[in-house]
Amino acid sequence: MDLYVAAFGFGLVGMSVIAIAAVGFTMQFGITNMINLAYGEVMISSAYVAYYINRAGVTIWVGMIAGALFGAVFSFLLNRFVYSPFQRKGTSHIGMVIVSLAVSLMIANLLLPIVGYYSVSYQDTTGGLLRAGGIVLTTNQIAIIGVAVVIMLLVHGLLRYTRLGKAMRATAANPTLARNCGIPTQRVIDAVWLITGALCGLAGVVAAMNSDSFAIANGAGFLITALAAAVLGGAGQPYGAMIGAVIIGMITELSAAAWAPEYKEVVAFGILVLVMVLRPQGLLSKRGALAAAG
Amino acid sequence: MSRFKPSPFVSAIVAIFILAACGGTTSTGGGLGSGDLLVGVIAPFTGADAGLGPAYYAACLAAAPSINSNGGVGGRNVKCEQFDTRGEPADAVPAANKMIASNSNLMAVVGCTSDEAATVAPIIDRAHIPMFCMTGQSEFNKTALKYFHRLVPADVYDAFAMVGSALFGPGHDPYKKAALVFGDDIGSQAFVAPATNAFTHLGGTIAINQPIHLGASSYRTEVAAMLKTNPDVILTEALGSAGTYLKEVKTQNGGKMIPFIGSSATIDPTWFQQVRDAIGINDLLKYYGGVDLGYTFSGPAYSEFLTNLNAAASTFADAPKYKQRGSTLHLYDGIIMAALAMVATNSADPKVYNSKIIDIANGTSGATVVNTYKDGVAALKAGKSIRFVGAGGENNFDQYNNSQSGYILVGYDKDGNEVTVGHLTPDQTSKLIAAGG
Repeated sequence: MDLYVAAFGFGLVGMSVIAIAAVGFTMQFGITNMINLAYGEVMISSAYVAYYINRAGVTIWVGMIAGALFGAVFSFLLNRFVYSPFQRKGTSHIGMVIVSLAVSLMIANLLLPIVGYYSVSYQDTTGGLLRAGGIVLTTNQIAIIGVAVVIMLLVHGLLRYTRLGKAMRATAANPTLARNCGIPTQRVIDAVWLITGALCGLAGVVAAMNSDSFAIANGAGFLITALAAAVLGGAGQPYGAMIGAVIIGMITELSAAAWAPEYKEVVAFGILVLVMVLRPQGLLSKRGALAAAG
Repeated sequence: MSRFKPSPFVSAIVAIFILAACGGTTSTGGGLGSGDLLVGVIAPFTGADAGLGPAYYAACLAAAPSINSNGGVGGRNVKCEQFDTRGEPADAVPAANKMIASNSNLMAVVGCTSDEAATVAPIIDRAHIPMFCMTGQSEFNKTALKYFHRLVPADVYDAFAMVGSALFGPGHDPYKKAALVFGDDIGSQAFVAPATNAFTHLGGTIAINQPIHLGASSYRTEVAAMLKTNPDVILTEALGSAGTYLKEVKTQNGGKMIPFIGSSATIDPTWFQQVRDAIGINDLLKYYGGVDLGYTFSGPAYSEFLTNLNAAASTFADAPKYKQRGSTLHLYDGIIMAALAMVATNSADPKVYNSKIIDIANGTSGATVVNTYKDGVAALKAGKSIRFVGAGGENNFDQYNNSQSGYILVGYDKDGNEVTVGHLTPDQTSKLIAAGG
């Protein structure tokens, strides 16, 4: 029983990491209509930015902010100089997916000679060990949970209570109508790339902290997990992505405790497939704050 | 209306040029031919086992100048090319097919780890290309593949040596309770059954057998489950994920490591760096034990290897890191033996020189021992038969092209150099093999 309680605690950390990544990914898709398969590589690039800052003797918490800033700027530039020109030319959805896949491969291969193929670790990211009722977590893992909660609340506040959030929702619902109503949709989209890019960068650093040791090859894994949570929750639905993150994060850890650990991801993604069969539109397709445009 | 009609002479000349162009550079019989020769390095360069390929590529980069600066193979220079299998059989097959289809000048193939050997070795064998594989899988213990060569013992012996380290190693009482933490890849899982057999038959208990999914983002629940069994020692090969797993062990165990014994694949600069960064150098030096084949890291063959490996840094910056990587030494030797076999048979046809590789490795009666390509070529030109003893030491191939040698118990120093800490006696080795079955 202790193991299940411990696994529940680990699941809290796992779902926190996934939630940050998945919410950023699904907002990006929901508002810009872009399935950005380079998301995982931007995450891992940001993780490396934080790594080099951390290696220079700066605390990882500063590195985390730097990673978020890098992710924001990198994503913004990607959209401005790569994705937008293709979209203006009327490239189809599947064409844009292929473009983002190409960008993903280019980032990974450009990064490889710079960072190497081997795993690296942040320094002093463990923190003290806290035990409570069978749950065993480090102070830094608790901090990761806290960061995720704050981010989720900020996203909720942004979408519900700010002019920008309302403009985002309007742009997501119908960009042409939003533009005709005087909403500067291009600026909104720029803001979306900056905000979701920051979430992407932050998620990359948090995921790398969570892994203890990471390498360039982890980018693909980061993407798949974020994508799975986003799809499970309903594409383009931030609240759905949060629920998806909870399900995948928890099931991954609990199934490792209950069954053979080498199959923990098989179990989590098996449930994703099952949900997709029973409810192809995802869990929150009708009730989220955003919906896929177009 | 007049039409151009080539004369028979012109037609013949054109036909000769076309045939020459299509024929590539591979000789089909006597003579060493012309043009560059290629050594294909087929291994994981990306994916969870991405640390393996560079070690093999470094071997080729060191071997090529040994050959090229001494006249090449009958004047032909040797070059190296990577073919990435991603450590997945599904990716390895197209990589092998591409390597063979697009390179008619392949003289040898090196790499083929346990991740992909079962799928690529038959393909390479059908193409009649000598290969030197770094797989420990038992299915190759009595292989029928004529072009397959293995310069290291099967994984079962590596597993026996790890158990030997746990039971007979210096500096600790025999460990009674072991956790087996091996990656869920084919190569790592090959250790589990022989280690379990040997350890339990010699009085130990397997506290937990935990295959872990390589590349997972965390192993918290796995580590919690493992720690609940209170093992004395962890036997492990989880390349690419060792840092993540071991750091979690230290974290959940209140900052204290558990002794861990790694396979010979953990004698690797990438593994050292990853684990050092994860758990700290002091814990790595204190709690790690490894096993390796008994290398001397000295002598003329090693000296030339080291010089060339350091020079290869201009092409591949990490090359010098592999100066004590067993597989790098062995594959370096394999490439040189293949080149010497070509010179000895005066043939670029693998069907002709393949069988000569074993003769050169094992030596025949009255053979002259040589340690470098240069000395080997000189001896062959003097009409002598040779035995090549290279950077990795002597080779002793059996009828299945498997070369056997003994193990030592090792650790690391603070700079990542291998340090010998003990030996398994012949009696201990016999007990382990008997117990392992």
